[in-house]
Amino acid sequence: MVLKINHLTGGYSKTPVIHDISMNIEKGEIVGLIGLNGAGKSTTIKHILGLLRPHSGEIRVSGMTMADDAENYRRQLGYIPEAPVLYEELTLKEHIQMTAMAYGIDEDIALGRADELLKIFRLKTKMDMFPTHFSKGMKQKVMLICAFLAKPELYIIDEPFLGLDPLGIDSLIDLMINERSQGRSILMSTHILATAEKYCDRFAIIDNGKMITVGTLDELREEFGMADKNLDEVYLEITGGSRENA
Amino acid sequence: MPDHLFKPRMNEDISRRSYYGKFIFNSHFLIFLTIAAGVFLYTLLGALQTIEYSIWLDITAALIMSLLVLPGYRSLLKEADGLFLLPYEKRMGGYFKNADRYSLSLSVMKPVIGGAVAVLILSSGHDLPAVIVFAIISALFYMANFHIRKNAINTDLSNVTLLVTVFVMNILSLFLILQHVLWVILPVTLTYALSLYVKSRSHKVLDWNAFIEYEEVQLNRYYRNVSLFTNVSHVDKQFKRRKYLDRLLWKPKGKAFNKENMYEFLFYRTFARDHDLPMIILRLIIIFAVVMIWISNLYLSVIIVLFGIYIIVLQLSQIYTAQAYLLWPKVWPVKREYIQESYIAYSHKLVFVISLIFAIIFTVVHPVYFYAATVFPLWGYLINRVLSKGVYKKEKELSD
Repeated sequence: MVLKINHLTGGYSKTPVIHDISMNIEKGEIVGLIGLNGAGKSTTIKHILGLLRPHSGEIRVSGMTMADDAENYRRQLGYIPEAPVLYEELTLKEHIQMTAMAYGIDEDIALGRADELLKIFRLKTKMDMFPTHFSKGMKQKVMLICAFLAKPELYIIDEPFLGLDPLGIDSLIDLMINERSQGRSILMSTHILATAEKYCDRFAIIDNGKMITVGTLDELREEFGMADKNLDEVYLEITGGSRENA
Repeated sequence: MPDHLFKPRMNEDISRRSYYGKFIFNSHFLIFLTIAAGVFLYTLLGALQTIEYSIWLDITAALIMSLLVLPGYRSLLKEADGLFLLPYEKRMGGYFKNADRYSLSLSVMKPVIGGAVAVLILSSGHDLPAVIVFAIISALFYMANFHIRKNAINTDLSNVTLLVTVFVMNILSLFLILQHVLWVILPVTLTYALSLYVKSRSHKVLDWNAFIEYEEVQLNRYYRNVSLFTNVSHVDKQFKRRKYLDRLLWKPKGKAFNKENMYEFLFYRTFARDHDLPMIILRLIIIFAVVMIWISNLYLSVIIVLFGIYIIVLQLSQIYTAQAYLLWPKVWPVKREYIQESYIAYSHKLVFVISLIFAIIFTVVHPVYFYAATVFPLWGYLINRVLSKGVYKKEKELSD
């Protein structure tokens, strides 16, 4: 098991934002983390990354907790934030070199891996430029390149399709499928449910800081008695109902 | 509504200035300023007693005043104003009048002090009426330049070109009226012509974006100036590619290409590509070198260099602060201690080079006492250690 979250409660201050979250991700699995704005997706992601300390509960990545071995824990993770976070003073090539050094990858191997990714995302000619001068989509591609060259066990991708052009989305999906086939896992938070439905193996639906359900689309349909409905409809039914009850 | 908006913003700006003023004008700096001002006045008055009138004195006085009669404009507008104040554009007159008054008051000390120095310089070779005309024209320039520069924001005119034009016009006019009072017609004509030209280029409606951007630049400039003396978290860092420096930038190779060296790799680039920092340091070195050469006193030279190194080291620590709080060091599988260790390695090397430059200048000015220069690298090392520790401590407290 790559990720195991056990009864996680946490948030930014003493007031919890997420309550008693439990889920897991198996090796070679793509899981969609789905929820409305403010549902607790980003808070959950920040807890997995170790950016926030849980109030209670436990998170294990490849069997270890952050407290066991922070460095090794983080090595298992590759993070692509919703809004690109770049070093304004570094070129694209230097971002690749920094990532390589951080993940202990030999420079030539890293540049070799990056070369493929640069071709895929059509950034090969921009190696000596500051990515901060790129468009939002291109910046997002830099984030993707840095994460995918590290080849971590678990990718955490916050809104992966945001800002990407159709070609970029297509390339990203291909990359994700390829990584899955190599036994790596992906947790992605997204609102693009049609795409998520096609490529995610399972879905974790979070609402009001609580995990409503986790399962395959068929399991969700069965659980909520919505045979033949697509993910959009199931999702709207689940979260819409919960809003009314709130 | 806009009329009531200015006062709280002005109070906010005044509070900001008084907050940072406490850090800038600390006891050490006040002592330094007092000594420096005393030495400056002493040498100036001494020089004026012996010096004979020459055209260079007029040029110096005109230059000082021309540099100091360029008041900045602070509208105190905020980004959201471009959206929320748009419907009130026609009722913004009161707001902008208040902004004019506040802006003029903010810069007034510079021409007053500069004027006093210029009057002292002009006391040699000029009678009282000539000095009075010089002072009146300077005051006229102060007001006119302010309005010209303010109006130019609402045009497509280049800020730099306008600044250079105004400066050249001022220095030429001030110099010429010192030669003959009838030249007074020139500044009046030129100023009037330039005002009319700028007005003719003005957009028909207020360019909110230009005014807001201008204000952001001014505020950022203020923070950058403050950051010369203390840490400022608000500075909006900007970077320049400077490709020509790429070859000089250290990069770990082979086995050294690892996480232990990654932050040092980063720090060199942060420094070399910082929009202002290298130039600020260069300017500080030049200023301190000029003062050292001018004063030419052994003890004061040592004090000046020690103070110069202190100010520069203070500048460098902002690089550490900027990096330590970013997202990636918290996400990457790299020990946080490496940031500190890399900063220590990088900053000690840089401070050593800067101390060495000061040591060379000192040795040139005081060749007999060259051995005194050995204290500079040592001072640089110690001050870097002390100041860095404060930065690490603050970071640790915040991360806890």
